[in-house]
Amino acid sequence: MKKKLLIIPFIIFSLVLLNFFYLLLKERNPSELPSNLLNKNVPKFEALSLLKNKNFVSSQEFGNEIVLVNFFATWCKPCRDEHKYIKLFSNEKKIRVIGINYKDNTKKTIKWLKNLGNPYSDIPVDKNGRIAIEWGVYGIPETFIVNSKGIIKYRHVGAITKTSYKKINLIIKEME
Amino acid sequence: MMINKIFLIAISIFFVQFFSNNPLAVEPDEILHDQKQELRARNISKNIRCMICQNQSIDESNAPLAKDLRILIRNKIKDGDKDEEIYKFLTDRYGDFILLKPPLKLTTLALWFLPFIFFAIGIFIVFFHNKKSKKI
Repeated sequence: MKKKLLIIPFIIFSLVLLNFFYLLLKERNPSELPSNLLNKNVPKFEALSLLKNKNFVSSQEFGNEIVLVNFFATWCKPCRDEHKYIKLFSNEKKIRVIGINYKDNTKKTIKWLKNLGNPYSDIPVDKNGRIAIEWGVYGIPETFIVNSKGIIKYRHVGAITKTSYKKINLIIKEME
Repeated sequence: MMINKIFLIAISIFFVQFFSNNPLAVEPDEILHDQKQELRARNISKNIRCMICQNQSIDESNAPLAKDLRILIRNKIKDGDKDEEIYKFLTDRYGDFILLKPPLKLTTLALWFLPFIFFAIGIFIVFFHNKKSKKI
């Protein structure tokens, strides 16, 4: 009887090992963290709009349609890389694309958007990074998808690539 | 003689590990005038993970986000927020991962208690094994 009991630690150890192997082999980015805001309401914030002559008030802007929120800055190289995909999203009729300009220079941003094209329907300015903290952002670029009820459904950390573009597109299609 | 040397090395490692002051990243303009409030801010900062470096606290990290969070914590302390309120503000946005010490919850029970269970199993095996070998 006691001898049989000795097999228990061995089984537990094997299970732990199996779990480690699974985590090793699974395709994932260990530095990418899940958002704590998933399935929660969009954070409330108010900010100056870069292009319009009025304040951007979050409570008035979310909750009517699917919104893609993209944190970007001109000093961020990956933001430039993903810009073409953000433009592709802005061509879709059913979604609205909003860009939050993170800790940036206004003049440089306007020039940057003139050169690369402006995919954003509105650009709230986050001068001191406070809005980003409200969204739990830890490294730009970050992209959020907010459904038509104003609830955050997805977060992507880092530049959008071809693969992640397809993935995000699928998620949006499912929400429609 | 040899044992003495090993003992000395062990003691010095212990001192370096536990009594060294980690270099802090707090900049002079961030420090609060009220010493009690500053101490509170330092204590909270030591428990908050820098989300960019991930193995440093924001008290030690030079990352811009760590600085933003240090300033945010100090502003909240000045506004009269309690420590629990500040922790809640941060975990609501960044999740439990932002705490360097994981909280005791239903989902973290295994994390906290498995080591003790393994220890008990180990003791049991050693004891059982010894008893058997004595008979031989």
